Amino acid sequence: MAEGNTAAETKVQTKPKEKLFSKKNKRTLSDPLSDNNPITLQVLGICSALAVTVQVPTALVMSGAVVFVLTISNVAISLMRNKIPSKIRIIVELAVVATLVILVDQVLKAFLFDISKKLSVFVGLIITNCIILGRAEAFALQNKPWPSFLDGLGNALGYAIILLVVATGREILGSGSFFGFQLIPDSLYAAGYENMGLMVLSPGAFILLGLIIWGQRMISQKFEEN
Amino acid sequence: MHKNSYVFFFAAVVTISCSILLAAAANLLRDRQQENIALDIRKNILASAELGSEEMTRQEVLGLYDKYIRSKVINLEGEEVSDKTVEQLDPRKDLNLLPLYYAEEDGEIMAYILPISGKGLWSTIYGYIALEKDLNTVMGITFYQHGETPGLGAEIDKEWFTSNFKGKKILSPEGDLVSITVIKGKVKELIPEDEAYHYVDGISGSTLTCKGLNIFIKNDLEIYKPFIDKIRNAGMEQ
Repeated sequence: MAEGNTAAETKVQTKPKEKLFSKKNKRTLSDPLSDNNPITLQVLGICSALAVTVQVPTALVMSGAVVFVLTISNVAISLMRNKIPSKIRIIVELAVVATLVILVDQVLKAFLFDISKKLSVFVGLIITNCIILGRAEAFALQNKPWPSFLDGLGNALGYAIILLVVATGREILGSGSFFGFQLIPDSLYAAGYENMGLMVLSPGAFILLGLIIWGQRMISQKFEEN
Repeated sequence: MHKNSYVFFFAAVVTISCSILLAAAANLLRDRQQENIALDIRKNILASAELGSEEMTRQEVLGLYDKYIRSKVINLEGEEVSDKTVEQLDPRKDLNLLPLYYAEEDGEIMAYILPISGKGLWSTIYGYIALEKDLNTVMGITFYQHGETPGLGAEIDKEWFTSNFKGKKILSPEGDLVSITVIKGKVKELIPEDEAYHYVDGISGSTLTCKGLNIFIKNDLEIYKPFIDKIRNAGMEQ
C-alpha cells in the first residue's frame, strides 16, 4: 500500500498510507448502521428518539442535526487529540459539542423556525446525547481525523435510520399520514378505521423501538450474555 | 502529563474560539431569527382570533394580518393614545400604555386581541387572548413563547388545551372580572354547571404552569378592565 510519493505526504506520513476506503474504514462506517447500532444495540440516545419521532419531518431534521454535530465533533476532537490535556478532556469535548449544538439551534431558528419550535429543547439536548460524547471518548480521542469522521458519520446515520423508521411507523399508525400527506383514504375512516392514539404518545415509540431491537437481534443472532 | 499552565492555556484557547464562533453565528443570523419571531407573533395574533391556519406561508400570514388586524395604543384608563403606535411601545418605559389589537372586517370589529404574559413554572409565557366584540366571551387563546416542560407544561400551546377556552366568559353577569381559571381535573366533574363558563380543564402534570396561567391571565385582564368597561358601557347606551 506504499504509494503517495509526493513531497507533502512523505513528510507527514511515516507509516505506509492507508487507503481512504480500506476495509477497516468501511467497517468503521458501516458497523454502527446495523451490527453495532447506537440505538438498537447500545440503547443510547433513546430519549430524543422517543421525543421527536411523532412525525417524520421533525425526525429528519433531528437526524440531520445529529449527523452534523457528531461528524464535526469527532473530527474536531480527533484533530486536537494530542493537544487536549487529559485532566480536562471531558469538559473540552463538551465545549466542542455544545458549541456545535448551539450553532445548529441558531441555524434552525433562522431557517426552519416551525420545526425548531416543534423540536423545542430536544435540539439543545443533543449536547447530552450519550452517542456524541461516547464516540468522542471511545473513538475520536484515539483515532485520526478521517476514521473519526467515518465513525461519526456511521453512528449518526445509524441513529438517523432508527429515528426515521420509528417516525415512519408512528406517523402512519398514529396520524394516518407520511411526511404530512394523508395515506389512509377517507373511505377507510368512514368505514370505522381509527388512528392509533397510542402511537402519538411516548409508549408508542417504546413499543416500536422494542420491536425493532427484537427484529434486529433475531436476524443478527447477537445476544447479550448472561 | 501536561503542566497546569498548559491546561489553563488550552482551556482559554478552546473557550475563546468557541465563543467567537457562536457570537459570529448569532450576529449573522439575528435578523432572520427576529423576522421569524415577528412572523410567529402575527400568526398567533391571527390564530387567537380564529383566522388562518398552522400551515400558512409567510405571504399568507402577512396578507391576512394586513387585511384584518389593526392596532392602537391605549392608556390605563382605557382611552386611546393617538400619538404612538403599538410598534413604538417600549414595555420597559411605557408602563402606563398598553397595546391593543383588534380584528376588523368591513369596518366592523370582530374581535379584541390582548397580549398576555407572565411566569409559568420555568419561564415567562407569552400569548394572546382574543375576546369577541362583547368583550366577555373568549374567542381564542394562544401561547407562542415559553420554556415549559415538553409533554407537561408545554402542552399549553397545544390545540386540545387552548380550544377549551373558546366560548368561556371572563366577566360575571354583573360585569365584574372573574377571569378564567384552569382547574386541576375536569370541569364537568368538579364545577357546577352554572359556573362552568369561567373554568377550563387542567393538564395533569402541569399544575404549576397552569397556576401561573391563572394568575397572569387575571392580572392582564385586570389591566384592560377600564377599557373593557368603557367599550361595554358605550355599547349599552347605544
